[in-house]
Amino acid sequence: MAEGERIPGTPRYRHSLQVHSGFEPFFPNFLLKEWIVGAVFLFAFALWIVFNPVDLGPKANPDDTTFIPIPDWYFLFLYQILKYYPGSQIVVGVVLVPLIGTLLLLFTPWLDVSTERHPYKRPIATAVMVLVTFLVIWLTNEARVQHLAETGQLSSNANLPQLKPVSASQIKFSDTNMPGYKLFESTCATCHGSKGEGHIGPPIYAIGHFWNEQQLKDFVENPSGGMPPKGGLPSDKQVDQVVAWLVKQSHSGGGY
Amino acid sequence: MLKKAYDWIDERLNVTPLWRDVADHDVPPHVNPAIKMSAFIYCFGGLTFLVITTQILSGMFLAMYYTPDINNAWYSVKYIDDQVLLGQVVRGMHFWGASLVIVMMFLHMLRVFFTGAYKKPREMNWVVGVLIFFVVLAFGFTGYLLPWDQKAYWATSVGAQIAGSIPWIGPWIQTLLLGGHYVGALTLSRFFAIHVFFLPAALLVLLALHFIMIRTQHISGPL
Repeated sequence: MAEGERIPGTPRYRHSLQVHSGFEPFFPNFLLKEWIVGAVFLFAFALWIVFNPVDLGPKANPDDTTFIPIPDWYFLFLYQILKYYPGSQIVVGVVLVPLIGTLLLLFTPWLDVSTERHPYKRPIATAVMVLVTFLVIWLTNEARVQHLAETGQLSSNANLPQLKPVSASQIKFSDTNMPGYKLFESTCATCHGSKGEGHIGPPIYAIGHFWNEQQLKDFVENPSGGMPPKGGLPSDKQVDQVVAWLVKQSHSGGGY
Repeated sequence: MLKKAYDWIDERLNVTPLWRDVADHDVPPHVNPAIKMSAFIYCFGGLTFLVITTQILSGMFLAMYYTPDINNAWYSVKYIDDQVLLGQVVRGMHFWGASLVIVMMFLHMLRVFFTGAYKKPREMNWVVGVLIFFVVLAFGFTGYLLPWDQKAYWATSVGAQIAGSIPWIGPWIQTLLLGGHYVGALTLSRFFAIHVFFLPAALLVLLALHFIMIRTQHISGPL
C-alpha cells in the first residue's frame, strides 16, 4: 500500500493482505483515534469534576490579617524558593532564580545544539531536565507540607477522632449538672458549638466514646490544629473539670 | 445543495487546499498509539489543546453570570454554585481544568524535551511553546483572584508583595498589577480584563503560530 493511500477505500477484510506502512491520513483515520483518546480523557475529567466539587471560601475580608495565604499549587515551587533567600537575599529568589530558569527554558534549543535527539545520547541535557523536574516536584511538596504545618493540618491531626456531623438538635448531653458543663458552655462551645456539634473546631459531642480521661487531658493540655492550649481555660483545675464531664459524653448522639 | 454552496464559496475563496492540507497529511506510525502503545506520549499536546478548549467554553459560560466588582463577585460565584443549572459543574470544570492544563502542558513539554523535538529546524516552535506556558501561568494567577474569597484575596496580596520586592522596578510593577497600593476594586476589574480579553487574545495568536509551524515544518521523525 502506497503511503498516504486512504485506508477507508479498502474493504476491512483486505487489510491483512496489505503491507501496512504504518502511515495513515490524518482525516478521518487518525483523527478518529485521537477522538477516542480525547473521549476517554474527557470522561475521566468529567468524573473527577463530579466527585470533587469546588468549594468557595468565605468572602474576601481585607481586615482579617490572620488568614494564611497560599498560592495555587503550580506556583508553589517558586514560592518555596523565596523562603530560602530571606531578607536582603530576596533578589535571588524573586529575580535571579526565575530569570535564569526562564532564560534556560526559552533558549534550550540553542544550549543543547547537538544533532542527537535520543535522550541517552545527550546525557547532560537529559540529566539537567530530570534534576530540574525532581527539584520542582520536591519544592512543591515541601511548600505544601510547610503550609499544612502552619495551618495546623498536619498528619498528627489525622489520628484525632472524626465524629459524624450531626445537627445540634439531635445531641443529648448527660450529667449537665456537673461544673464541667458550665465551663464547656462558656468556653469550649465558642468553637465546638453549644452542643459540641462542631463550628470552627471539629465536632466533639460524643468524644467520650473515643477517648478516656487521660487522653482527653493530654490533648487539651497540649492541643493541635489551632486550638489554644488548655482550650483557653485559665487553670488546670478547670481543665480537669471539663474533661471529667466530657468523658461522660459517650452516647450523646450520632449513633455512638 | 450543500455541495453547490461549498463549490460557490470554493470558486471564490479557494478554501479546498487549506483543509486538504490538514486532512490529507500522513500521520507517521511512530506517533500512532494504535500501532505502538507507547506512542501515547505524543497525545499530550493534543490533550492540552482539548483542555484549553474546555477552558474557553466553560469560561464563556461562567462569564454569563460572573460580575467583576468587589461587592458582587463573591455572590455571583456563590450564585453560580448554588442556583445556576449545572453551575457547580461548569465552575468545577474551569477550576480543575486550570490545573489540568498545567499538568498536561508540563507532560507535553517533557515529551518534547526528551525526544529532542525542539532541535533544528523547530527551535522557534519551542520558544512559542514556552511563551504559551507563561501565558497559561498568567491565566492561573489572574483567575485565582476572581472568586474574591479569602484565599484569592490574600494569595494575590502576597503575589503583589513579592512582585513589589523586585529591586528598582518592583513598586512600579506592583502598582501596575494592583491599580493601586492594595488589592481592591481596580485590581479585580484589571485581573478580569487581563483574564478574559488580553490573555485569550495572546493565547489564540500563540496557539495559531504553534499549529501553523507544525504544519509547515511537520512533526519530528522517530528517535
